Amino acid sequence: MPHQTALTLAAHVRPQDVEHLEEMLRSMGNGVANGSVIDLGSLEGVHFARFVLLPATADLQGQPLDPLLIYMSDLDVPVERHLAELVDGAGAGVDQLFGMCDDYPHGAERSREDRLAFLRKQRVKERAFYVNTVGRTCKQIRQEAELREDIETFLDGELGNKDPSAVASALRTHVAGDNSLAWALKPAAGLSLSFRIREFVHMVGVPLLLLLVSPFLLVAAPFFLVALRLHELRDRAPHEKPPAQLVQELSALEDHLVQNPFTAIGFVKPGVFRRMTLTGVLFAIDYATRHIFNRGDLAGVKTIHFARWVSLDNNRRVIFASNYDGSLESYMDDFIDKIAFGLNVVFSNGFGYPRTRWLVADGAHDELAFKDYLRLHQVPTRVWFSAYGRLTNLNIATNERIRGGFTGHASSAPDDWLQAL
Amino acid sequence: MNDSTPLHDVQGLLARGYGSLPAALFLILGFDRIEPTRAWLRRVVSEITPSDRRPERRAVHIAFTASGLGKLGVQSAAMASFSNEFADGMTTKHRSRILGDTGASAPEAWNWGGPTTPEVDGVLLLYACDDHELAHLERDVAAVEGMSVIARLETSDLQGREPFGFHDGISQPIIEGLSKRAAPETTLRFGEFVLGYPNEYGRYTDRPLLDHTADPARTLPREPATGRPDLGRNGSYLVFRQLDQDVFGFWRFLDAVSRAPDGTPQPDLRLKLAAKMVGRWPSGAPLTLAPEADDGSLKDANDFGYHQLDSPGQGCPIGAHIRRSNPRDSLDPDPGTAKSYAINRRHRILRRGREYGTPLTVDQALQNDHDPAGTERGLHFICLNANIARQFEFVSGTWLNDPKFAGLYDDADPLVGPSEPYGGTFTIPSDPVRERVTKVPRFVSVKGGAYFFMPGIEATRYLASTDTR
Repeated sequence: MPHQTALTLAAHVRPQDVEHLEEMLRSMGNGVANGSVIDLGSLEGVHFARFVLLPATADLQGQPLDPLLIYMSDLDVPVERHLAELVDGAGAGVDQLFGMCDDYPHGAERSREDRLAFLRKQRVKERAFYVNTVGRTCKQIRQEAELREDIETFLDGELGNKDPSAVASALRTHVAGDNSLAWALKPAAGLSLSFRIREFVHMVGVPLLLLLVSPFLLVAAPFFLVALRLHELRDRAPHEKPPAQLVQELSALEDHLVQNPFTAIGFVKPGVFRRMTLTGVLFAIDYATRHIFNRGDLAGVKTIHFARWVSLDNNRRVIFASNYDGSLESYMDDFIDKIAFGLNVVFSNGFGYPRTRWLVADGAHDELAFKDYLRLHQVPTRVWFSAYGRLTNLNIATNERIRGGFTGHASSAPDDWLQAL
Repeated sequence: MNDSTPLHDVQGLLARGYGSLPAALFLILGFDRIEPTRAWLRRVVSEITPSDRRPERRAVHIAFTASGLGKLGVQSAAMASFSNEFADGMTTKHRSRILGDTGASAPEAWNWGGPTTPEVDGVLLLYACDDHELAHLERDVAAVEGMSVIARLETSDLQGREPFGFHDGISQPIIEGLSKRAAPETTLRFGEFVLGYPNEYGRYTDRPLLDHTADPARTLPREPATGRPDLGRNGSYLVFRQLDQDVFGFWRFLDAVSRAPDGTPQPDLRLKLAAKMVGRWPSGAPLTLAPEADDGSLKDANDFGYHQLDSPGQGCPIGAHIRRSNPRDSLDPDPGTAKSYAINRRHRILRRGREYGTPLTVDQALQNDHDPAGTERGLHFICLNANIARQFEFVSGTWLNDPKFAGLYDDADPLVGPSEPYGGTFTIPSDPVRERVTKVPRFVSVKGGAYFFMPGIEATRYLASTDTR
């Protein structure tokens, strides 16, 4: 079974084509992709995907930045295979969209290889990537949802003997008797050995390396803390309310499915200190998501399916993109109530973030300043694809537990298992 | 909150729901011409009941929509510093999605407050000790000139029961400085309901500050940090929704699904199913404490949590109305702890609604082919809060209407939630395995609504003044 991968493409849009591209993106969806131009649902192993247009802007020093077309997807397949599928299965759409970008190969002489080479060149590596449950594929999620539907319908009928073990065995007989559910009787494939070895080496190797350099880190720590406090006291933290029109435009795209996409972009505060701090923090987050928060929650928040942090424009800007359950209001409340420290550590390196103390305190705890900061930096995600738009993470986890009762992997007694239904 | 809190400036609806004034009337107003409206308002201000007075015969309250404040001359910069929800109003497409105002409940079909009905500018709330006094009060304060009554909403006294027949209004937030003392985990900061005071995050909610020059008479309190006149201080957002309750359909549906396979009615099962949907028995006794049968001695019981007693929901289902409108200690990440209560505390509303229409008993609903009274009935839902998005809208969207609440699949609130296109399942945790009711229709539909701002009394006086602004 494959582990999940992330793909991010960032292509420079020709200024004269921005309006046309914007129009095309509008035609492709109104918060949820409608399948036109590129049918993301027809590609294999795509959990979520989105196209976002970042308009031209100027950085904090006033240097102009090109408009960018961003494509992001959360995948079960290797990135190379996904790129090939895009070109082979949705080549016309790829031509239409990326044809408005700099350096896209020209008409007649354009080959498959030219297109692939272009896409590869636009790739930006994620600085950190969060997967709710590493190894759980789209296919597994869909199958287990069907399994649950099937047994719920079965349970709506007359059960007769209502002893827990009798009900449990009636369910097992029912599932065993249905050939189309045969897959449910054995556990989902595990992660490949090579992947697990690689992750193990990383998990152990990183702390070992840190141990080696720890004397230097210890010496540097007091200097870092002093510099941090000086920056925190000096950085501007204006509380700016997002214009009502922006909030309306963004919210019009939200709450069409049970999940929503979040895409936000911001400038990194100027100077070496913030840039280095951010590098360290994102490295730590990537380590934590790979080795600690890889089974159902991100530091207590269970609603996030996938999330990523990506640097753009020579590390001057960072995009944060995620797919989460429920409304933005509940997402932001989760942030504040459950993982404010984690957000502060990252986003306080972003320009305009509410003032923090010692990197972890305050910041997001200033509720409205924080919510306004997020809204102000959010960009509309018109073209967004979800492979299972009516399932929350809690649903998916329950479905997995239900399936566990058929594979002999259920760790709990039948009466406990039945309560999952 | 301390003793210096000017309760004399806070409209009394915050302090009390006027149980001793059973007659009430709500007038939804449009301001056609502003000078007569202001003149009328100057007269009404002196009638407004403050929080530090317990009235014996009558009470008067007033609140304004964003358009009403605009007509009264509030500067656009100050309007922008109100919350977005208030400024945008209740009927944006997105808001309709999260509030469940779709299908027959869509604003396009509303009797008032929708896009096809006249613009609502204000609401006048009148309370009296009896109908006679109410009639007098209406004559005394209702306007004549320059204003129109878009809707005249009468109420009925159902003796503490809501139209489905259940004891209502039991669980209200305890507010620091206003209510009786209670345990800290259930006591909320004053700023959760009144602008100008620290909220549950220890911060100030968005509030409308005016230019220094906007209040030369110094009617308004000043914001300490900037010295600017604070139009919001001592005010609160008032959410008004006219909710039609299909009592006839409710009992007939429950009767149909609770019958024995041979078609015999099973009244006990029918009542139990209704109680499972509500989370309380008709007397008010909570199912978590009285799982098998109604128990009148528990009719006001409100001091309980779900985590210890009823975590899987075999007493009170996870999807029951009272469990999702106030999950108490059952929220992630640490159910049963102070942390869970702390999260719950950030999503409370102060309910001040009144019922309307002729009551309909279970028997009347079941013995007739159509509603014998032939009238609409329901609840004029009114609630107060300081942050509409985090309080009223969150409770409605994330807790009541979301079919995915707390790990459920397709279960919107069975009593008040939408059932189309999703949400029409009601799951009842049982032994050894759940029971469920599917295709639950929608029993409560929306007939009108608006977001109002209920200013402090001095702020109302300021709005009524003729100073050029």
